[in-house]
Amino acid sequence: MSKKNKQDPRLPDETFEPYEEPRLIPLPVYWIAIALAIWGVVTLVQTSNAGHFADKERAALGEKTASVASPAASTAAPDTGAGKALFADNCSSCHGDAGEGVADAIPPLHASDVIKAGGASAISQIVMRGIGGPLIVDKANYDGEMPSFSSVLSDTEIAAIADYVATDLNGMNSTVSPDQVAEIRTASEDMDPWDGGAGLASLINGLPPQPASENASAPSPEATATASLASQGTANIWSCASCHGDKGEGTQTVPRLAGLAPAYLAKQLHDFSKGTRISDSMAYVAKSLSETQITELANYYGAMSSPSGAQPALKGDLARGEQLALSGDYSKNVPACFTCHGTSGIGVGAQFPGLAAQQPAYIAHQLAMWAGGARHNSPLGLMAGIGKALSDEDRRAVADYLASLPPAAGNAKTALAVSPTLKETTNVQ
Amino acid sequence: MSSKHPSDTTPPGPDSAKGGRTAIRAILAVGGGLTLAVLGSLVLEFGLAPSWLTGQKSVPAASPKGAMADLFTPPPESTIPNDEFGASVRRGMAIFTATGTNAHDFVGNNLSCSNCHLDAGRQAFSAPMWAAYPVYPKYRSKNKMVNTMEDRIKGCFTYSMNAQGSPSGGPPPYGSDVYRDLQSYFYWMSKGLPIGETPDGAGFGKIDKPALPPSRERGAQVFAANCAVCHGKDGLGQTDVNGKTVFPPLWGPHSFNWGAGMHKASSAAAFIQHNMPLSEPGKLSAQEAWDVATFLDSHPRPKDPRQTGAITLQEADKKWHKSSEDFYGETVDGVVLGTGYPKPAPAAN
Ligand code: HEC
Ligand code: HEC
Ligand code: HEC
Ligand code: HEC
Ligand code: HEC
Repeated sequence: MSKKNKQDPRLPDETFEPYEEPRLIPLPVYWIAIALAIWGVVTLVQTSNAGHFADKERAALGEKTASVASPAASTAAPDTGAGKALFADNCSSCHGDAGEGVADAIPPLHASDVIKAGGASAISQIVMRGIGGPLIVDKANYDGEMPSFSSVLSDTEIAAIADYVATDLNGMNSTVSPDQVAEIRTASEDMDPWDGGAGLASLINGLPPQPASENASAPSPEATATASLASQGTANIWSCASCHGDKGEGTQTVPRLAGLAPAYLAKQLHDFSKGTRISDSMAYVAKSLSETQITELANYYGAMSSPSGAQPALKGDLARGEQLALSGDYSKNVPACFTCHGTSGIGVGAQFPGLAAQQPAYIAHQLAMWAGGARHNSPLGLMAGIGKALSDEDRRAVADYLASLPPAAGNAKTALAVSPTLKETTNVQ
Repeated sequence: MSSKHPSDTTPPGPDSAKGGRTAIRAILAVGGGLTLAVLGSLVLEFGLAPSWLTGQKSVPAASPKGAMADLFTPPPESTIPNDEFGASVRRGMAIFTATGTNAHDFVGNNLSCSNCHLDAGRQAFSAPMWAAYPVYPKYRSKNKMVNTMEDRIKGCFTYSMNAQGSPSGGPPPYGSDVYRDLQSYFYWMSKGLPIGETPDGAGFGKIDKPALPPSRERGAQVFAANCAVCHGKDGLGQTDVNGKTVFPPLWGPHSFNWGAGMHKASSAAAFIQHNMPLSEPGKLSAQEAWDVATFLDSHPRPKDPRQTGAITLQEADKKWHKSSEDFYGETVDGVVLGTGYPKPAPAAN
């Protein structure tokens, strides 16, 4: 090497020998490094976009995120197309795409004599509080339960929907302003749903004759005892409200209980104590309850109407979630969730629980548990197949969509009989 | 990229050769890197990556339908055009999925077309509409004439929808908008299929002959274990709190009548094996499907609308029910089957 140093540095190295060159990094190393760098950047861009996509969809679905967070506080001015889109997202699953209703089950909105008599303001009143019980619309009898939308729609949104239904679907010259809806909201704070046609008669002048009310009687003393058991607990029984919330609305992976069918709630409590459904805390809770207490608590939560405590939180694709809920994905053997869980996720009978306004983290978690086999108590193993068929994105999508729906009203009619022979016995079966 | 020779530290001499090499190396490195990235993404895209890498379990095809991938996929709803024709397609779809509401005058039970033709008439092996549309008009031995699509739909209204019990007392008259809109919907969903060829996935598919003669008693057990959760212990279906039918009745006054294809054990067995229990197709063996289909057939339902006027039950049995292994005209549990109900049953409620 000494010879080399004597040479003019600017001249080519005559003694250069290839093997002296410091070892070059082999090309494949560069290839892999560059490929990894590209992959890294792409994933980064994709994950940050996924959030944006979801946001966009949420905006498209009627600014639900904003409105759920603070239902009364949305200030955006209603525009003409908004009412139609909001109607499609919130009302058409029950009342039909054109407001035609469902024969003998859900009244029409496109030419309703109730709306003709009450206009946009009455529509807002009904959407705000919900309505249940005997009702006559266009000479046909109905006796159903429409949920209250107060916890999922803003004043502006309710006004836009009411205007659309009154003007476009009924050809009326009747509108309502967001401010008027705000007043309705304040006035109907903590009020029960309208008591069918009899309830509306006090609101709407000139309403066609309506059937008598079937109002449920005042809560019995046992119900108040059950209420205190649920909210306070006892020395041996944990308070349900401490985890499930004061109004049974749930949070995170603790489920909403309010408005679920009593028979379903009782079955789950039995499953926890038998160990066919696994949850350490609930197994402890369920084993501490007597058979009578199980029935009474199930009836108590089943009859409870409370606002939604859920909102989309998992960055799910709401449009995909809506598709799974309303149409399913038959290429994966997944029928629409609502074929089994009922229109708009309000539940069917004792076996098919309501899903509307259920906590999204809870729904996604349960679907994953079915997929993994940790929850395996559904009749015929129906949910196991569905949980397995859904990808993680699908689970988040459908959970977020369901969280955006109004909660089903409590229903005292489905209460289980508290059999005296079962009193104070513990869970056998 | 420090591929420089140490001797290059001083002002470079005539080293263009080396500079060129560096450039070539850079190009090779970047080019190779890009190629690798592209190859990698292609592998992932086409699902060629092994599952240990992607963390996704390959979903086993639980369906007995063989290669689902070969079946026709009807277009997504989002592609319905936004014009007059598209409006007709949408109305047709609404009639198909909520028949009692949107074709109210012609429906005499609590069913919708989509209760038997699943996924709004799109599901293979539940007699999908895309598989039917390209093969009509065709001759049917049931009514011994060439049937247009309108005739065929009229048949499902007459029997499956029990039109005799509807407000109008019969199926939609020829030329009704109900047929027009339904056919728009079928035509739209069949786009791309050749005319005159029956595609795979048509009808209810094939079912093996049962090893033992079908038995009503075994069928009752299959029913209790696999169907009652949804269709009810009494088979009369379930409604939600608003009274809307969620799980359709399999028999009784609000189900299809004795003239409907679904009452024949052979049709029902094939439908059941390929579609029921809902979300678990293929769960039942052929024997179980035949047994439960026979059990289904052995219950009362609205009368065969062809048995009118002077035609007695016995004559109707000979004429339309003789060859099929059905319960029409037989006495089961003390009840003569086929007599229907005194008055046409009012729809719903
Ligand atoms: C979960 C199903 C469901 C949803 C979703 C729903 N409704 Fe209803 N709606 C009902 C039922 C059921 C009744 C009848 C209640 C009764 O029988 O007392 C009803 C009654 C009504 C009535 C009074 C009767 C009539 O037809 O004029 C109005 C107005 C109404 N709904 C408007 C709306 C609007 C606007 C929306 C969307 C924001 C909506 N509903 C969403 C089920 C629903
Ligand atoms: C320590 C917190 C905690 C307490 C206290 C508690 N729960 Fe729960 N509960 C849970 C959790 C968490 C779940 C979800 C379990 C799972 O993931 O499967 C649950 C689930 C349930 C379910 C099943 C609901 C469904 O939708 O399937 C019922 C019913 C229930 N609880 C009733 C009660 C009652 C009644 C009480 C009071 C006696 C109570 N819980 C007290 C945490 C609690
Ligand atoms: C084939 C009928 C069927 C379909 C379709 C169906 N489910 Fe279910 N689902 C059930 C049954 C039955 C249960 C009750 C399980 C039990 O009793 O333990 C249930 C329970 C659930 C629960 C638990 C609720 C709770 O409170 O713990 C969730 C969450 C759920 N389903 C989500 C879904 C979603 C999301 C879809 C659509 C992608 C869907 N289901 C479609 C039958 C069905
Ligand atoms: C009770 C079940 C049931 C209902 C409800 C029903 N169908 Fe059918 N449909 C059948 C059966 C069974 C067949 C015969 C399928 C076969 O034999 O492959 C059939 C066949 C058809 C076909 C011919 C299919 C082909 O491949 O040739 C059409 C078209 C059709 N139905 C339309 C309708 C329409 C439209 C409605 C609603 C008005 C309806 N169906 C309601 C059971 C039903
Ligand atoms: C998970 C609930 C569920 C189970 C379990 C189930 N079905 Fe069904 N079934 C349905 C639903 C929902 C429909 C209507 C399909 C639709 O509208 O998407 C249906 C439709 C039918 C129909 C055609 C419509 C009618 O009313 O005739 C028949 C026949 C039928 N099922 C038979 C059976 C038999 C037999 C079994 C048991 C082997 C069974 N089902 C199990 C939910 C179920």
